[in-house]
Amino acid sequence: MKRSDFPFLGFGVGLRRDHYVHILDTHPKVDWFEILSENFMVAGGRPLEVLDGICARYPAVMHGVSMSIGSTEKIRRDYLRELKTLARRVEPAWISDHLCWTGVGGRNLHDLLPLPYTPEVVRHVATRIREVQDFLERPILIENVSSYMTFNDSTMTEWEFLAEIAERGDCGILLDINNIFVSAFNHRFDARAYIDAIPVERVIQFHLAGHSDHGTYLLDTHDHPVRDEVWDLYAHAVRRFDPVSALIEWDDNIPEFGVLMETANKARAIHQKVTVEAPRDAVRSPLG
Amino acid sequence: MPSDLHWVESLLYRLITAPSGVVEGLAAEKSLAPGGLAQVIAGDDRLSAEERVDIYANMYFYRILDVIKEDFPATLAILGDERFHNLVTGYLIEYPPAHFSISYAGDRLADFIRDHPPREEFPFLADLARLERALIDVFHAPDSVPLDAEQMRAISPEDWPALKLTAHPAHQILALEWNVAAILKSVEQGEEPSYPVRDDISMLVWRNRNRVYYRAIDPSERDELSAIAKGTTFAEICEVIAGGVEGDPASAINQRLETWLRDGILVRG
Repeated sequence: MKRSDFPFLGFGVGLRRDHYVHILDTHPKVDWFEILSENFMVAGGRPLEVLDGICARYPAVMHGVSMSIGSTEKIRRDYLRELKTLARRVEPAWISDHLCWTGVGGRNLHDLLPLPYTPEVVRHVATRIREVQDFLERPILIENVSSYMTFNDSTMTEWEFLAEIAERGDCGILLDINNIFVSAFNHRFDARAYIDAIPVERVIQFHLAGHSDHGTYLLDTHDHPVRDEVWDLYAHAVRRFDPVSALIEWDDNIPEFGVLMETANKARAIHQKVTVEAPRDAVRSPLG
Repeated sequence: MPSDLHWVESLLYRLITAPSGVVEGLAAEKSLAPGGLAQVIAGDDRLSAEERVDIYANMYFYRILDVIKEDFPATLAILGDERFHNLVTGYLIEYPPAHFSISYAGDRLADFIRDHPPREEFPFLADLARLERALIDVFHAPDSVPLDAEQMRAISPEDWPALKLTAHPAHQILALEWNVAAILKSVEQGEEPSYPVRDDISMLVWRNRNRVYYRAIDPSERDELSAIAKGTTFAEICEVIAGGVEGDPASAINQRLETWLRDGILVRG
């Protein structure tokens, strides 16, 4: 995997059903969209009509939730086949999923569960990533998840675990800044130390989202504006990794599309401010 | 494959899906010593190991409940929040999600209601859930190019008899014991649903220009559409229609053809 194989897309927004009509009717000026792969892994109908309309006008990437790369069961070939079929239709700039497991015994929890951070699990997951990449015939990105529990068996930090898997699996990283913030609170680690330990050449995309505060823990709900502390952390990440495409996720209490545009533009403004303060050699430019 | 990882994931799966919660789920774990979860999951002064797993258990249930509520708004309107919540609790024990897409989480709800009627006062509920699920299945069903009136006119009349026909794949015909369509209409219009009529009816659910529709059909139209779905010719289907009417067969054929072409039901075979 080479970072230069991935274009810099700019500042995008997660495509959600609430906004389909608005986007198709008004063609808002958005750099790119991230689609949720499973929403479009269907035989036909309106979802695919919408998808074709979006992909005709905007760069798109595919983001999945059900690969279950950290499961101990065989990776579902039917899932991978449908994912590959969808990729032929979308021609995404990249495909991503999460560093997690989602079920056992053929059952799906529809949640993103964390793994024990051990060398054995690193080898297991990295092998599976290579299997997926061979099948899809392209590198994938894996995303750090928000978590609410850790395992006593863990012998590594989460960032060591993520970095090691990306190296051994030879895949990219989708670094979710909000997830780092949430997990840093929940497990009392230093979010900046996490970011500073991730290999620059592996990071292809950022996620930004809101979360909710439950007092004793933070929950990754994607139902609030991005918090100021997460924007600060994003600025820190931009300093280290720039240029990296950034994307706004909003999944509940979804506001009007304009709010998402404003949030994406805030990410752009922070990026510009940070890179003016400490310019790096920008080797990639936005598409379009 | 790390065997410890499989054991841990299996344990967590059982605890997260335990119908009465993580604590009761733990009590059923024979292989785990009392307090054993704390040896697997790290607790701290903020949250114990059980409380941490409980966060996932809540998310599991409520995420799926939200999806099923959205997919079955009329069933929800009939039952109300509390009874619907209890229905889904029982449903998830018997039909835990297995598909990679959460949109299939409620695909067996009608079967569950049929086998475990929530209350005798709602004998129509399984039919209502079947109709609601059919709307979703048809929404996602495969695409095809329907035959329209203009295309039909472009075909030379002498070629009509041999014209091969089939039905658009995005359709279902449901055999219902209750006319639950009125409930669905009421809920769609934000009105209070009334008790449905007990009636053996066939309900056609179909998609046209990516919108999903439904209407009750009489037994002859049901038989005609079933014949078309198996693959037929225009001449054969005309014979079926003519055999089912007492009056002018040409008028009946014209009427059917007009309806099906308008609705996008017919596809060239």
